[in-house]
Amino acid sequence: MKPSKDLSERALGWLLLAPVGILLALIVIYPVGQLIYSSFFTIRLTEPWLGTPFVGLENYVKAWEDERFWGALQNTILYIVITVPGSLAVGLGLAMLANLPFKRKWPVRLALLLPWALPLVFAGLIFRWFFDFKLGFVNDFITRFGFDPVPWLTNPMMAKIAICITIIWKSSSFMALVLLAGLQSIPKSLYEAAEVDGASKWVQFKEITLPMLVPAIFVALIFRTITAIQTFDIPYAMTGGGPGDSTETLAMYIHKNTLDFLDFGYGSALAAIMFIVSIVATSGYLRYTQRSAGRD
Amino acid sequence: MKLKQLALAATLASFLVGASASWSQTTLRIFTGGQQRPDVMRKIADEYEKRTPGVKIAVEVGGATSEAQQQYLNTVLTSKDSALDVVLIDVIRPAQWAAAGWAEPLDAYLGADKAKVMSQYMKAYADANTVNGKVISLPYFADSQFLYYRKDLLAKYKRPVPKTWDELMETSQIIMAGEKNPNLRGFETAGAPIEGTVCTFLVPLWGEGSDMLKNGKLNLDTPEARQPFQLLGRLKQAGVMSPNVGEIVTDRIRINFQAGNLIFAQTWGYVWNRSQNDADSKVKGNVGVAVLPASKTGKSATCIGGWQLAVSAFSKNKAEAVKFVRYLSSPEVSKMQAIAASHLPVFPSVYKDKDVVAANPWFEFAGPIVETAKSRPVTPRYQEVSDAIRSNMNAYLSGTKTTDVALGDMKKRLEPVFK
Repeated sequence: MKPSKDLSERALGWLLLAPVGILLALIVIYPVGQLIYSSFFTIRLTEPWLGTPFVGLENYVKAWEDERFWGALQNTILYIVITVPGSLAVGLGLAMLANLPFKRKWPVRLALLLPWALPLVFAGLIFRWFFDFKLGFVNDFITRFGFDPVPWLTNPMMAKIAICITIIWKSSSFMALVLLAGLQSIPKSLYEAAEVDGASKWVQFKEITLPMLVPAIFVALIFRTITAIQTFDIPYAMTGGGPGDSTETLAMYIHKNTLDFLDFGYGSALAAIMFIVSIVATSGYLRYTQRSAGRD
Repeated sequence: MKLKQLALAATLASFLVGASASWSQTTLRIFTGGQQRPDVMRKIADEYEKRTPGVKIAVEVGGATSEAQQQYLNTVLTSKDSALDVVLIDVIRPAQWAAAGWAEPLDAYLGADKAKVMSQYMKAYADANTVNGKVISLPYFADSQFLYYRKDLLAKYKRPVPKTWDELMETSQIIMAGEKNPNLRGFETAGAPIEGTVCTFLVPLWGEGSDMLKNGKLNLDTPEARQPFQLLGRLKQAGVMSPNVGEIVTDRIRINFQAGNLIFAQTWGYVWNRSQNDADSKVKGNVGVAVLPASKTGKSATCIGGWQLAVSAFSKNKAEAVKFVRYLSSPEVSKMQAIAASHLPVFPSVYKDKDVVAANPWFEFAGPIVETAKSRPVTPRYQEVSDAIRSNMNAYLSGTKTTDVALGDMKKRLEPVFK
């Protein structure tokens, strides 16, 4: 009723939010703004005599005409389309497994956590040795059954498969952790009631587990999709983008342009494009979560 | 109360002592790659610390390949970080470093001695370290690619050291058929998308008597430009080269050669020392080094390599860093490296040194080879040139692009650099 009190409360609210706001501005808004700004300039450290002239959309036009960019984008989309559902399926299986009434829960949870805790580039290096033509475990295994060794990392198709397997191995444990939390929030009484009604395990899974798990699945999918768009470490460590550029992702191509070719203008334009791709790819999920939030 | 004051005084005093010690102490940080024998660098640094009181040397090691090292350095130097004082850089980099302004030009430090100092080095290295008349870096050790071969196997099958690529292929096939060892391959060179793969393309091209550039313009519309693809394709097809050549990085060649799994290898000088001295080497005493083969009509050529010492433009101890670089780039250190690591000297005089020749009998003929070795294209945009060559060569060696497509894509990417 008293407007003065409202105002001071609002001011207090702003005051409390200010540190976070400043922090976000410093570490998110400023760099993103700087990135978009530099994407309109020529900034080539290898040729400083060019200066840093404003070139408008030239860097974006260059990307549009750059076959390698389209190839990298295509590879990135392929990794998203395969590894996001892949790690969801494997992660769900792992979560169901971990949710079984084990006597000791911690060894199961620890096993779940380990791949997630491993740095991405380690996973890439480990799997590179795994899939190595001569010294690798995988080829050793298949040759014991009389098959020819497969050139996993030097054949574009096989290299993509090997990379997808590695990414799924690496990321499904995170999916499993999120889904396990979701599974444990489902009331046991629902299953008991279903049992009384004579529902089979499969029907219980389809009618109770899955619908109750949907919010957790969406959260997991959003996180996984964002990291899939940024795929870098694993292909970088496993193939370096090879053979040729056939396994190169958008993030790797950005890295190549900026930190290898020192072309910061073009690299910024590519990064801005990747930013747009991530917004588009995740907006679908975001709309869903907003809708479900409104329903509550 | 008294006790407290005493403690305070003691802390203050120890702080002052510590501070004064650190005033007179300079720590120089030198960056080197894992393949350039950081252990030997450490020994040399220890020696320098002994003679130069007040200077401590920290050796930072990173990056298994030349481009991995440069990618790391790119992040350090574009942010103008002063953490590194001296950096070991590949022979292909001085132009890029000069353009980016990362290397402190050494002319002022050399002063009147400049001409005299630079004339001591082999000409190729004096040239490689000078960009637009400025001394960007000083050479640490020389290098070039050689043909390593198994003396025992050639003797067993009474074959001479091959002079042409055709002979190399024939000899390999004879020995492989005779040995019946499924792990034994005839020949290996770098094929992964790494810097070394640029030489995999250029060496056979030069061996044809051609070159990538002609008067600064791209010169790949020639029949000779197809030859590197044809040659390596034939070697792979015949099984002389392993089907996984597309994943071979420089040091894997050494590992495979040392394990006794290769008859011939196209690789750098450091392999001699490792294959003679490493505990796990199965080829001790059976290693021969020769010039690389050429085509029937051409002349043997090789890729120049070697590592240079640059002083970071962002270093806070430039004067001390230059002194250390002068020491590292001296005949004395060149000799130490030659004996401890079979690093090729950058001074013609060191090649004739008795101790050096005793440790590396093949240096006597290696000197002239290094002196005539060819350099990869010199441009500040070298990284793009390298990427165009290595990724297309890698795609071809992996069997995913034909000669026409690989060569066409290579040209397409090189054109903007050399327009």
